[in-house]
Amino acid sequence: MTSYYDIDDILAEEELVSVVFQKAVNGVGIDPSSETDSVESGSKVELPFWLAQELHLRQVAVMALPSCFNQRTRLEIQADAAFVDLRSRCQFFYEFGCKIAPLVGDRTIGSWLLSTFKSRYKEVLTKAHSAVFAASSKYLALLSKEETKMYEAAQSSMTAFKKWRMGGPRFQRASFLSRKRKSTE
Amino acid sequence: MYGRKACQLVTELASGEKGQLTHFNSDLFEQVISECQQHHLELQSLIRKVQEEGLDLQTTKNEDHFGALIHHLALVRNKRCLMAYVHNRAETIRSLIWKLLGSMIPPEIQEKLSNSEEEYFKKHSARLKEYMSKLELDLTVDMVPPKDPYIQVRVLDDIGEGIVLSDDKTANFALHSIHFLKRTDAEQYISRGLMEELRG
Repeated sequence: MTSYYDIDDILAEEELVSVVFQKAVNGVGIDPSSETDSVESGSKVELPFWLAQELHLRQVAVMALPSCFNQRTRLEIQADAAFVDLRSRCQFFYEFGCKIAPLVGDRTIGSWLLSTFKSRYKEVLTKAHSAVFAASSKYLALLSKEETKMYEAAQSSMTAFKKWRMGGPRFQRASFLSRKRKSTE
Repeated sequence: MYGRKACQLVTELASGEKGQLTHFNSDLFEQVISECQQHHLELQSLIRKVQEEGLDLQTTKNEDHFGALIHHLALVRNKRCLMAYVHNRAETIRSLIWKLLGSMIPPEIQEKLSNSEEEYFKKHSARLKEYMSKLELDLTVDMVPPKDPYIQVRVLDDIGEGIVLSDDKTANFALHSIHFLKRTDAEQYISRGLMEELRG
């Protein structure tokens, strides 16, 4: 379960989903195409997930499958999962996918997300250990937030391991100070 | 769109580097709060409308009810974003206190804090000091398990003369001088960036 204060969870819930209202709603300014402060039944609006989810559960609106999980993306991922640009599709591809999977009527999303993750994971891990920093930036731009975190974790644990083996300095100036000093130099 | 500003606030947190503080964005923070007040007013007026029409609040499911629902959800969302902003900053502040205990708030950090955060910093470090004096144990030293009780250090800043060390001797920490010190004595200076550890 994610924590209430979890930043990534909050940001993942900000992803837009298009919904079709089943009921009319009064006194809210969420439909940009409407001139009055109301939404009519049957109108299609893009809403952030946190709002769309609750409305979907209360049957006020019906959620459509976001475009980042559509058939085209699936075909691309089938072709070569590791080099599909997930970040531009959805920053929190997996988190968002897990949230949306139980709500839309598509039962294949879960297993599809898992297989996508599995095939990309290998590439992330090998790249994290082998790639030179300059060469990796192009690859990094393809990763979703979750994968970027994994990539960084793999790299930092490798550096920590090397440092431990060589026996580097054990004391360090508190990190937030060193940054500040550098910028004023 | 509702909740957009609150989300901006959280994005700001996420884009900053972990463990680093950015300026408290009181401007945006205030804007989110006033957005919340607006939601609250609209929520109340919708509920009043339902009541004036003589309908039962619990069972009515008309368009006014759903409007009120959306305002309620936006309020809850804004609250979560604001709480996350304050909570995550407080966490960073607490970890700063552990590293900086005993020294004043550095000016470059102080200017980034809001008033209540500054107060939190002071009170929390006072509590921590009080706790440690009760225990008679300095909890902030030896955060890394020691290999050797003594280490060699070089002074990076003019700290001054006649600093009393834990074994009641005094030392003269002039700039660039090299000393052989007890780890516990050196640690506070290293974490403040006034000394560096030398490796033989």
